[in-house]
Parts: sequence; structure tokens; C-alpha cells
Amino acid sequence: MLLRILARSLARRRSRKLLAVLTIWVGMTLVVALITLSLDVRDKINRELSAFGANIRVEPSAGAVPVRVGGYELAPRIGQIYLNEGQMEKLETLFWRNNILGVFLRLWVQVRVDGRDVPLLGIGAPHGSAAAGSVSFTPDSLKGYGHWHVKGAWPQADDECLVGVDAARELGLTPGEWVRLTLAGRTRSLRVRGIVVTGEREDGALIASLSTVQDFAGLPQKISEADVSTLTTPENKLAEKYRLDPTSLTPAEYERWSCTPYPGSVAAAIQEAIGGSAARVVRRVSETQGAVLIRMEGLMTILGGLTAVVCCLSVIGVLTSAVLERRSEVALLQAIGAHRRDVLLLFSCESAALGLLGGALAAVSGPVLGQGLVNAVFGGEAGSLGVLAILSPLLGLIVAWVACLWPVSQVLHQSTAQVLHGN
Amino acid sequence: MGQAAIRLENVSRVYPGGIRALDGVSLHIEQGEWVAVMGPSGSGKTTLLNLLDGLDKPTAGRVLVLGTDLGRLDPDEAATFRREKIGLIFQGFHFVPYLTALENVMLAQYYHSIVDKKQACAILERLGMADRTHHLPSQLSGGEQQRVCIARALVNEPQVVLADEPTGNLDERNEAEVMNIFRDLHLEGKTILMVTHNHDIGRRSGSQVLLNHGRIVRQRFTA
Ligand SMILES: Nc1ncnc2c1ncn2[C@@H]1O[C@H](COP(=O)(O)OP(=O)(O)O)[C@@H](O)[C@H]1O
Ligand SMILES: [Mg+2]
Repeated sequence: MLLRILARSLARRRSRKLLAVLTIWVGMTLVVALITLSLDVRDKINRELSAFGANIRVEPSAGAVPVRVGGYELAPRIGQIYLNEGQMEKLETLFWRNNILGVFLRLWVQVRVDGRDVPLLGIGAPHGSAAAGSVSFTPDSLKGYGHWHVKGAWPQADDECLVGVDAARELGLTPGEWVRLTLAGRTRSLRVRGIVVTGEREDGALIASLSTVQDFAGLPQKISEADVSTLTTPENKLAEKYRLDPTSLTPAEYERWSCTPYPGSVAAAIQEAIGGSAARVVRRVSETQGAVLIRMEGLMTILGGLTAVVCCLSVIGVLTSAVLERRSEVALLQAIGAHRRDVLLLFSCESAALGLLGGALAAVSGPVLGQGLVNAVFGGEAGSLGVLAILSPLLGLIVAWVACLWPVSQVLHQSTAQVLHGN
Repeated sequence: MGQAAIRLENVSRVYPGGIRALDGVSLHIEQGEWVAVMGPSGSGKTTLLNLLDGLDKPTAGRVLVLGTDLGRLDPDEAATFRREKIGLIFQGFHFVPYLTALENVMLAQYYHSIVDKKQACAILERLGMADRTHHLPSQLSGGEQQRVCIARALVNEPQVVLADEPTGNLDERNEAEVMNIFRDLHLEGKTILMVTHNHDIGRRSGSQVLLNHGRIVRQRFTA
């Protein structure tokens, strides 16, 4: 009988019910879209931020020992110990391999130009990742240097190079000129394509493709460091505790630390995977990323929360008027012997059904809107989340059910006699 | 002498605002009696009925129906009492608008015990509504609605039937038919309390109670 009452009630008096479903649908669509967006925001922002440089640097272990003089960290001595390009394949075996956005190989050597010692940097991507094999500058190999400011053009060919802004001043080089390098009796000419400002060590160097530098220096397959761009979680208290004193972590804390992609734990895993290497976190990059991410996520959480609240309020509004409209029906049910819980059950089921329907519709439209938002803000695909297909109807059901509790309890407190016999 | 069907002991009902709708009313109705409650508008007839069906509570005095003190029941206990013992016929009918005539009758069965469609159909048939069972209340005439309302009140075989102006909205032909139904119920031995301000109707009952300003001014036996 209850089912029959429900079916009849839902089938007749459609406009009120449609309004309720519509409200839940729109509200839940927004909530689901924001959930989709916020789940994606970390990944997408992280990718955007990777243009500001890699957050982990891998070096030969001896090279990583910082040499500090009066507070300045001196560059490790160039050209002594190297890693092998091939060792980078180990990154593919890493537990965090899916968090790795890019690997940028670098080889530093010292050359002579016009009788002066000038550092020469070769940059490139691992062979495996460049579709075109070991050709000079691939888009892959430059991706990690989005934060470099180049006057002129990026090099395209193996005989072209960039010149750091300080080196260009010292050597009097401008784009289009040729520069002659000497190393151990060999010479080679490169054409300057652009002047680069990096704000770092590269400002005093010449920059060419990795294969060019390896050839010229007679160091095939060798690199002096690799920058690894990774998707990481902003550091929290636990990560900080590890950073200050790794031995202070309890075994449980250590377990949690190593299973979370903090910059520190990913670096530790990389160092372990690549023999003879030392991986360290580039704090300048990782801390900026962390700060931006935390703010973005905070913003998304606030937006999502507000949307959910507004959705609940409007559902309460619609259901309240729908329930109050039926005061005399409730009074009648009580007069013919319905208990308060019978009335509550009837209205709960009805609202739940409406909420379920609205939520189910939102499970379809929410991800579409979420995809649209992700596309508009970041471009590209949003990760689809299967759970939302269940979560959204469930959430709609709960919202609608909670929203009907208040008006129903109000109506149950009414004077039945007065409503029925009121004249 | 059996247990009284209805007993009011010095009952008063004062509404907020100080209106004394009932003022020290005492009344004794035996089982199987058919009583008409009469009186001018505003004399407290509906208030009296609401006290007897447990939808309202007295401010003073005791209301006993079939031995149960209704003033002591909470809303759910009162609902249980109503569905077990009382058939209610409303002045304004009152139906669940989206249920058919038959479903409205079955609803009373549902809250009483179990739904028995055959029995629900039978009672509608007895009241001459066999061909209207699948109509919505809004599709029925006043007389037809009143009969569905009576069918709903009777479907659970109540011992006491309370009716508020059951013929108030009906034309003469329907009025006569409804009165015949009440006569049959009386012959079946049900206790009936019927509010009316039509003296002709009142005279057909076994006894009459006359209310004025919340007090019983006269009690008269017809037969
Ligand atoms: N809920 C109420 N609140 C205040 N006064 C009421 C209420 N119901 C009825 N009254 C008053 O109580 C008196 C008796 O009303 P009622 O029992 O409805 O009379 P009748 O049914 O005989 O016309 C009237 O004066 C009416 O105005
Ligand atoms: Mg009245």
C-alpha cells in the first residue's frame, strides 16, 4: 500500500515534484562539477607549475655534498663525476613513476672561448621519451625550462646554442653570431640563437643540446645531473618533521610519510632507485607549488561547501512549501489512524525518491559541467571519477531527505482538529 | 447495564484567547444509542466531537470512550485508538486527493491492519458506489464523496461512529439515503453520535442533546 501511495503521489501533482527534482538536479550538478574540478585541480595546477622548473634534482652522490662558504652554496666542481643516461631508466620502475611529469638531463663541461673559461651546459630529454630518437632539441627536452626568459629564439639544431645573459655580456655575443669553443684540443663552432635570463647558474654559461655537448666533450651517455619534475603533495607537519630530523619519525609515521608523494619522499625513492645518486628537493620550486596548491584547494573547498549549502537551502525551500501545502492531507492521515512515524515515512520516501532522481540526473550532467569547467580553466581532459555516479544520487537522496525533515516535523506539530474542522 | 460507550465528566474546553467552547459538560451515552447533537452555530458541537475522537483534549474534566480516558493519550496512542474503535465522518469529507475512492478506503484499512481490496469494494458497493471506485475524489459529486467518506469510516467495523453534519452539504435525495445508512448502522447496534442543526434529521435519531454556549441545555428521548 505504501508503494501504491508513493507511486500515485509521485505520478500526480507533477509540477511541485518537477520543481523539487529540478532544484536538486541543478544543485547537485554544481556540487559534482566542483568536486570534479577540485579533484583535478591539484594535478592540473601541478602540471602548470612544472613549467617553473623541476622540483627534484638528481646528482652523483659526491657532487651533492653542499660546499658552503660564508653562507653561499658553491657550485659543485664541474666535470668530475657523472651519472649515466641509462640509469634514468630506473625511474620507470619507481612506485611514483606516474607522478613523474618530465626528466631533464644536463651535462656541464668547461670550455674555452676567446681565451676564457666558460661553462657549457648540454640539455636534453631521455632517449626513451623523445619520439625522434636523440635529435637535438625536442619539445620534451625544453619543457622543463618554461621559466627561462629567452631574447631571440630557442635553438632548433645541433649547431645552435643559447648564451646566458652574463656570459653574453662578457664575451660580447649577440644572436646570429657564431661562437668558437675549444676543449682538450678540439674545437667546434655554434651559432647563437638567443640570450637567456634564468636567474641562476646558467646565466654565466653557454647552452647547447645534450648530444652536442656529449660528443664534443667525449662523454657519451654521461650527464652531470637530471632535473625531475614530479607531481607532489604540499608538505605538511609530517613532511617537515622528516625534513628537520628523519630519525624522529615513529615507524607508523615513516610508513605514512613514504606512502605520500611529498617532494621529500619522492626524492628519497629516486635516490634509492638510482645507484650512486643523490636526489634533493629544489625548495624554491616545491615550496611555491605547495603554497599555490594549498590556496587553490582551500578555495575549491570553500566554493564546494558554499554551493552545497545553497543547494540544501533551496531544496529545503521547495520541499517546505510542497509539504506545507499538504497539511490537510497529513491531518487526514492522522485522523484515520496514521502514527507520526507513518507520516514521516511517507514523506521521507517521497523526498528520497525525488532526491534520488535529481541526484541521478546530476551524476550525468555534473561531470559534463565539471569537464567544461576544467576545459575552460586549464584546457584538456578532466579525470573522470566513477564514484560520483553512485555518490551523486546518494547525496541527492540525503539532501532531499534531510530537507523534508523540518517541514514534516512542523506539520506533525499542527493541531489536527483545527486543520480538519477549521471553518 | 453495560459499560457506557461515551462518558463526559464535567468537561470544559477553553481555547487560547479565553473562549469557553465547552463549559462543564457531562454526558452519558450507552452502547448502541443513536444520539443527535444539535445547537446553533458556535455552540461547541464540533469541539465536542474533536474531544470524542481524541484529536483534541479537554482543559478540564474527563472524556471516556469505551472506557478509555482520551485525555491521557499521546497523539500516536490516540491514532491507534481511533483506527481500532472509531469511524469518523467529516463535515468537509477530506480525502487524499491523488488516491481513488477505493484507494482512500483501502488507506484506512492500511493504517488499521491489512489491506483487503475485496472488503473495501464490498462496502463501497453496499453504499451504492460500485461503479465509482476508480474515480478520484475531485471527480465525484458531493453525495458520492459523502458516501466514500462513510465507507472509509465503516470499513474497519468501528464500535462508535462520530459524524459532523453528515448531511450538511447534501440535497434532499442524498440526505435521505445517508439517513437510511445511519438507520441501518443503528440497527446493527453501532453507537452513533451525529452533529446536525437540522431538526428533522435530529428527530430521526434515538435521542437529542441540545448545546448552547458550550452547555447542555436539554436532553430528549425521541422514541
Ligand atoms: N481552534 C479554535 N481556537 C479558538 N476558538 C475556537 C477554535 N475552534 C472553535 N473555537 C470557538 O469555539 C466556539 C465553538 O466552536 P465549534 O465547536 O466549532 O462550534 P460549532 O461546531 O457548534 O459551530 C466558537 O465560538 C468558536 O469560535
Ligand atoms: Mg461545527
